[in-house]
Amino acid sequence: MRRTAVRRVSRRTGARALVKGVHLPEVAEFQTSGGLKVLFAERGPLPLVALQLWLPAGSAADPKRKQGLADFTASLLRRGTRKHTADQLNEVVEFCGASLSCSAEEDFLSVRINAPSEHLRPMLEILAEVVRFPSFPHKEVESTRTRLLAQLANDLDDPAVLADRAMLGALWGAHPYGHDVVGTAKHVRTFTRRDAATFHRSMFGPRVGLLVIAGKAEARDVKAVAERVFGDWEGGPDKAPAIPSLQPPVLSGRTLLVDKPEQTQSQIRIGGRGLPRGNEDFFAASLMNTALGGSFTSRLVEAIRVKRGLSYGVSSGFERLMAAGSFAVSTFTKTETTRATIDLCLLELDKMRRKGPSAEELDVAKRYLVGLFPLRFETNEAVAGALAEIRLFQLGDDWVERYRERLLQVTVEEARRVARKYLLAEPPAIVVVGNATQVKKQLSGLGPVSVMEVSQLQ
Amino acid sequence: MRSSSRSGPARLEGAVRDALRGLVEATLPNGLKVRLLSNRAAPIASVYTFFKVGSRNERPGITGISHLFEHMMFNGAKRYGPKQFDRVLESHGGRSNAYTSHDMTVYHEEVAAEALEVVFDLESDRMASLAIGDSSLESEREVVKEERRLRVDNEPTGSLDEELGALMWKAHPYHWPVIGWMGDIENISRQDCERYFHTYYAPNNAAVYVVGDLDPGRTLALVRRYYGGIPSGPPAPPVVNSEPEQRGERRAVIRHAVHAPSLMVGYHAPSARDEDALALDVLQYALTVGDGSRLARSLVFERPLVVGVSMDWTWRMDPGAIVFYLELKPDSRPPSVEKALYDELDKTCSGRLSPRELAKAKNNLKSHLLQGLATNSGKAHALGSYELLRGSWRSSLDLASRYEAISAEQVRAASERYLVPEKRSVATLLPSGAGR
Repeated sequence: MRRTAVRRVSRRTGARALVKGVHLPEVAEFQTSGGLKVLFAERGPLPLVALQLWLPAGSAADPKRKQGLADFTASLLRRGTRKHTADQLNEVVEFCGASLSCSAEEDFLSVRINAPSEHLRPMLEILAEVVRFPSFPHKEVESTRTRLLAQLANDLDDPAVLADRAMLGALWGAHPYGHDVVGTAKHVRTFTRRDAATFHRSMFGPRVGLLVIAGKAEARDVKAVAERVFGDWEGGPDKAPAIPSLQPPVLSGRTLLVDKPEQTQSQIRIGGRGLPRGNEDFFAASLMNTALGGSFTSRLVEAIRVKRGLSYGVSSGFERLMAAGSFAVSTFTKTETTRATIDLCLLELDKMRRKGPSAEELDVAKRYLVGLFPLRFETNEAVAGALAEIRLFQLGDDWVERYRERLLQVTVEEARRVARKYLLAEPPAIVVVGNATQVKKQLSGLGPVSVMEVSQLQ
Repeated sequence: MRSSSRSGPARLEGAVRDALRGLVEATLPNGLKVRLLSNRAAPIASVYTFFKVGSRNERPGITGISHLFEHMMFNGAKRYGPKQFDRVLESHGGRSNAYTSHDMTVYHEEVAAEALEVVFDLESDRMASLAIGDSSLESEREVVKEERRLRVDNEPTGSLDEELGALMWKAHPYHWPVIGWMGDIENISRQDCERYFHTYYAPNNAAVYVVGDLDPGRTLALVRRYYGGIPSGPPAPPVVNSEPEQRGERRAVIRHAVHAPSLMVGYHAPSARDEDALALDVLQYALTVGDGSRLARSLVFERPLVVGVSMDWTWRMDPGAIVFYLELKPDSRPPSVEKALYDELDKTCSGRLSPRELAKAKNNLKSHLLQGLATNSGKAHALGSYELLRGSWRSSLDLASRYEAISAEQVRAASERYLVPEKRSVATLLPSGAGR
């Protein structure tokens, strides 16, 4: 292989040379009279602005027997307020060329608006209105529930969704992170106007909320409007709900086979415990995972896609949530090569677990993550999201500035240690969605296998 | 409402001009078009290489070759052999991907700005002298077959889309799916790939867009150094459009193990360069963009018949398609959903959008236009798409005011011209008896 001069030069300067010039814009921080924290980052040049309100009211806060209520409540916020009907809200937002989204994740619920800067004021008014004064009209509750149930039924036709959903249950069981954010059909069927109104009343409030605004605007305006529309927002909870950490995966050492007889391709997930947000092992784990299955040149892609053509895609990753986290490998292959693909994944996991990444792999992973890091802050939405993330997960105000430095400090020894610690120290849970009759024959020797009907995942 | 639709357009157009100000353009002697735009906001850059070739340039027997070939572009060239492309790029803090459409094949890199030269080295190497090995072709063929299984064979919506395309086009290559028929993917030979490379991957059939932390003068010198020596090729053969006029509604039904039916309703539409293209953009926004758009409001919220509705109207090189996709609720009946859709479409043919609806659609179009320019990648992609489909990257500069100039009557007339019942094709996906 001929190397070019360019390559030699940048080899010599080293990955450290890549660390320059990434910082978030200056952040103005203030609090409304009611106690809502507000962060504002002025950035141009485009005349656009992103508004995001975050609340610790994600699916982990769904009441027992009401899985999906957080997301359901979020989607109802824009379906009618004290002042406006759903149609009127849509009209106001869309006429401005703005977009509004209300949704839940595991830990947080967010209401987000992207808008041309000239409409900052009316859009902040709308944001406050849907967060503070949703009216949950009966008709909207009914139709939203019906639509959601139809969507949940249609979701069963998507093998990748089924595999992810089955893996959640296999890893987390009855833990608050153990169900899909969108909920469970048998619970959704019971949702009432009262459920949503109660969730809203008990989970929403200024003291746990965070309003983040990024884009072309004046701090003076932002502050004045935020105070005007949120200043008298009071009450609500004092603190975020507590979420327990993860015990060993529920299906550790077992395989769950979801039967979809018409499939000619199997969806495969292999997973176990990972690490939560804010954990000090994060940087070493990210680098180790980049070498394992986080990039195009990673070991899993090499073994499964490049060398053998077994799949179009394979990846591994850590999902890090507030109280706990998981690790999983995700891929798919034609029915006939299901077992071969699972074995190759397990082999690569085992190799990485025993020896960790090489010095060369670690070095490439550093360059890769460090070089691409600035891409995360190109838009107002991304900057607002990053500011929210830093604050909500208490990552420290120097998170962005020090991020790449901290990646570069990771040693081969540390990467090896986190591989041992997080790459399925307990036997993994395995999920396969596919033709169970064909696949089951291939699974002998892999531990106990249980077969599940698709309908059980609704 | 306090929104000022009057002051908006001029300001937005100014913002678009600002975002693209300082663009440096050149055409190398070998015909390669080069567009460079500096953005010093962060130490990164995006490189987009557009080749004017897609599935429309294929023929029966080797359908899918454009896409399979796109994969082969990552499997080694003269100087950087197998696996080196991604290795070298990633080790310099970059990543790459590509996509193929009916009309074009697009390769893109995001990279730490200081490694731009590495990207030129890698990209020019494979443009000049791709090496297609038998074993890497066999392995990549299997990868693509898995991709087809993922996106079409085990994805009912993908199957439906494929069915509709085959129904709508009888003669034009838009008849087949971009990924190709499975049998053709299996049959494409190394010689086919080599012929394809020599026909379509010449610099005179390509354009390079670089946006990011760069000095345009120095970057242009680098581009000349790396790409300048690649010989130009003969012009690619033209695509013949022999599509006959459609003379009556066409229908197809496919069955899959699904919980609910879906519908795709397609109409023949103009090419991206047609005057009606922008009026149809406005129509698309008025009908399906946002919860308050006509079809979302009536079919999803008011009379809830569907879980989702969208109108796919993508600019294409040759006269293209408008496709309505409706994801039904499990208890909805396709005939009544079809009728509800046609009732709404009839209204857009017989009557005009209200002034407010028209303004709303335009405001959203312009806002999205601007949002698309927020990233280096978005800018590079927009420039390349406009240039290839509308003939010049400059067409993005005045797009905001061109949208502004469109009248309600133009939108109505475009609806009437294209949403013709006798010229529609309807593909229905129904739950099969087998499975669940």
